[in-house]
Amino acid sequence: MKVPILKQGDFLIASIQGALTDTDLTSLQENLVSAVRKNRSKGVVVDVTVLDVMDSFAARTLRSISLMTRLMGANLVIVGIQPDVAFAMVQLGLKLEGTMTGLDLESGIAMLKAADQKQERGHNER
Amino acid sequence: MSPSRTQLPEKFLTLAEMMNIGDQDLARRKEFLEFGPDDEERLHKLAPLAVNYAEDVIEAFYEHLLKFEEMKAFFPDNATLARVKAKQKAYFIRLTQGKYDLDYVEERLKIGSVHEQIDLPVKSYLGMYSFYLREAWKHIFESDRAQPDELITTFFSLMKLVFMDISLTIDTYIDSRERTIKSLQQEAIRELSTPVLPFREGMLLLPIIGQIDSQRARQLTEHLLESIRANRARVIVIDITGVATVDSRVANHLVQTVEAARLMGAEVVISGISPEIALTMVTLGIDLGSVHTVGDLQNGIEHAEQLMGYKVKQFGEVNDKNYGDGA
Amino acid sequence: MNDKYITIISDASVMAARQKGRELAMAVGIAGSDLTLLATAISEIARNIVQYAGQGQIEFHYVIRGSKRGLMVIARDNGPGIADIRQAMQDGFSTSRGMGLGLPGARRLMDDFDIVSEIGKGTTISMTKWEY
Repeated sequence: MKVPILKQGDFLIASIQGALTDTDLTSLQENLVSAVRKNRSKGVVVDVTVLDVMDSFAARTLRSISLMTRLMGANLVIVGIQPDVAFAMVQLGLKLEGTMTGLDLESGIAMLKAADQKQERGHNER
Repeated sequence: MSPSRTQLPEKFLTLAEMMNIGDQDLARRKEFLEFGPDDEERLHKLAPLAVNYAEDVIEAFYEHLLKFEEMKAFFPDNATLARVKAKQKAYFIRLTQGKYDLDYVEERLKIGSVHEQIDLPVKSYLGMYSFYLREAWKHIFESDRAQPDELITTFFSLMKLVFMDISLTIDTYIDSRERTIKSLQQEAIRELSTPVLPFREGMLLLPIIGQIDSQRARQLTEHLLESIRANRARVIVIDITGVATVDSRVANHLVQTVEAARLMGAEVVISGISPEIALTMVTLGIDLGSVHTVGDLQNGIEHAEQLMGYKVKQFGEVNDKNYGDGA
Repeated sequence: MNDKYITIISDASVMAARQKGRELAMAVGIAGSDLTLLATAISEIARNIVQYAGQGQIEFHYVIRGSKRGLMVIARDNGPGIADIRQAMQDGFSTSRGMGLGLPGARRLMDDFDIVSEIGKGTTISMTKWEY
């Protein structure tokens, strides 16, 4: 299942529409990274509201995506992890350390804007 | 493959066995409905026609169903609808094929159980069966107008079988419902002992009193996570003033709760760490890592407000003449 | 009832196993977050099969203990087997980059967990999720 990636200003929004196979996840990685480059995006929101299971491969892939986009100058935030899924992830030991997480799309965008402003201030202070 | 060494395998059961529906029960049901070998034969003869009209019946069926708002909720997207339609088609076709034995019963029980679990109301279920029978009759009647008597008998066979299905479905609803009620009761009792209190927008307070065992910890965490979603909370204060002892297991539960809350975008402050608990934790080498902790609830709330971006200012006393001049 | 057996050969079948497990568990009264725990555990174990053994099979069975019902998931493969089960079941053990064999994780997610493995012969995991 292909994950649609939408552009919203400086940010990209990837909304997962249903369960993803390993292949889908790998495609998402490739597509997001290339979309960040093409659009010179400053941030990415990955919306996993509909995802009913987050296993170690999915978590690993999302983490990779976050590291890669960061290297390319874009912050990444994952939003929409459901209560059940969060609970299972923690039992499994998947913490998504170092990756921003938010409640929903709105918070995600807010977090990206805040991170962007902070970085700009950092640049301006040099 | 060598079998498990460490434990005897549990007895494997069918749903039917769990509900005490065996050969005798099945025979009884058929007797009540006067469903016998003749009916089976008629249904099998109906099979080719049934396979033919299955598609039409399904389409008409879902067209009717989707007119109802409350039914639309069960089909959030096209993929789900397609999948359910395929299953429904298989169900209808099964009515006219194969043996009507305990395997058949098992399939029906499973369907009923799943439907009860997803909260499909009995009245919708019965409405669906009624619709199917009427549609099926239309097609059966069209198939051979020359022999109406035979068609009626065939239809009666179909009706008997559908009624047997309904009886099995209702039994699973009852069985399932009893279990759901029991577990809901247990859940209600647990929730009463671990309230999650919204205070100020985006903030939740979870006061914990008493012992925390694994079961309670889990229930606490689930309740909290669900509240985060429902209240769109960003900061949680977990107050453990009322918790007697904190050992490494309890600390572990707390850390896990914090981690799960973070995955949902919420930050957690743990307040109410008494000097005794602090000593125990240091002695045991318990490290709560990056979890915010404070001494008492008051501090906890203030800390939470800071995390939310509220500025907490101290106004003068009420009878101070400067009070109310704005700050 | 052959729909209770799923052959694991690709990531698509991992998803099918998850779906099946969820469905069967729901039918026996397992609800809510337990379903997610179950589906996640199945995902981990099934993926292990694809990754380490190439192919395997997952079976589902209803079980009963006292008055509690449960779903038992048995995952079998004829892969290389695990040399040191105790080590594999320890948190943090990993043969490949990333989060490891997922075995200790799966055990935490399920209520009962048992694993038998023989080098060169394969691995069998039996795990159960009970009604709450």
